[in-house]
Amino acid sequence: MANVNGVECNAAMPGHGEYKMPGGKLVVADVEIAGDRLARVAVSGDFFLEPDSALDAINAALTGLPRHSDAEALAAAVQAGLPPDTLMYGIAPEAVAVAVRRAIDGGAEA
Amino acid sequence: MSEARWREFDWRLIHAGPQPPALHMALDEVITDEVAAGRRPPTLRVWEWASPAVVIGRFQSLRNEVDPEGAARHDIEVVRRVTGGGAMFIEPGNTITYSLSAPESLVAGMSFEQSYAFMDAWVLAALRTLGIEAWYQPLNDIASHAGKIAGAAQMRRGKAVLHHVTMAYDIDAAKMLEVLRIGREKLSDKAIQSANKRVDPLRSQTGLPRGEVIARMIDTFRSAHGLADDAASADELARAEALARTKFATPAWTAIVP
Repeated sequence: MANVNGVECNAAMPGHGEYKMPGGKLVVADVEIAGDRLARVAVSGDFFLEPDSALDAINAALTGLPRHSDAEALAAAVQAGLPPDTLMYGIAPEAVAVAVRRAIDGGAEA
Repeated sequence: MSEARWREFDWRLIHAGPQPPALHMALDEVITDEVAAGRRPPTLRVWEWASPAVVIGRFQSLRNEVDPEGAARHDIEVVRRVTGGGAMFIEPGNTITYSLSAPESLVAGMSFEQSYAFMDAWVLAALRTLGIEAWYQPLNDIASHAGKIAGAAQMRRGKAVLHHVTMAYDIDAAKMLEVLRIGREKLSDKAIQSANKRVDPLRSQTGLPRGEVIARMIDTFRSAHGLADDAASADELARAEALARTKFATPAWTAIVP
């Protein structure tokens, strides 16, 4: 249980992870964890993604997953959540997964 | 073959006086949509900035990229553009920014990597006439031996492609570092030590005033691909002004990725 502004809550401190995809762009993940699950995931970065609503789809696909999901499982969830006509340049589901894992691991140590 | 593709179109030039940052964002959207609808010929638009700005990419986190105190201290407006890519620091006179709005047939069949290089091949030719040996550095940079010169961003909108580029002419790197948060992770795979070198100024490499560099670029485009002088129509301008007000100048858009 954490205490935020005097309010008891289940959410841990948000974790922040960054990953520069080799030959690609920077993928950033800000992740909040509640209990054993990813309560909120915000992916950002200087990558290219079309349609732009695919960013919301990525965040939604990751939210609610078990915090111990490995990178492979995270990448599969991102891939499954993408709109069928998605175009990616400088970003890939595997890169998102690495940034999210780093956010979870960094957040756990914080 | 690639030269022939450019020549299939009746290219227009828009180079207006200084305009506010949010209006530039809106003009890219309106003009590209007009090209997509077939109401406007393919257009090269050279931007002049009325005021300083930080322009962040569509998918960047406002909080992670911008230092709000630094931006406020230097009276710098933060705007978000419709394309992906990274944050740019703009002061009038220190960058050269342009957009290409074209039918998607211009880049049909090309990979992203090919289309980025293709859209800026004329700029590399213009730089060569100014004594700068530059090349396209995937994914989206123009580089020289002295460092990064420019960053490009591209998107498909309907049946059109928007490609816009900001070149560093004479960046105040110290001020830029007060306004932008530049992550170490981002610099990790670059063979450079300091952020200053990422915005190596065109000014020091050409020794020419900014206006002359722009004139050379326009001349190069004109002789390679053809280019007729034009301006945004009253209707395009009115729509862009409305869009600047209702979208690009609003916190809802600027903080859409908080």
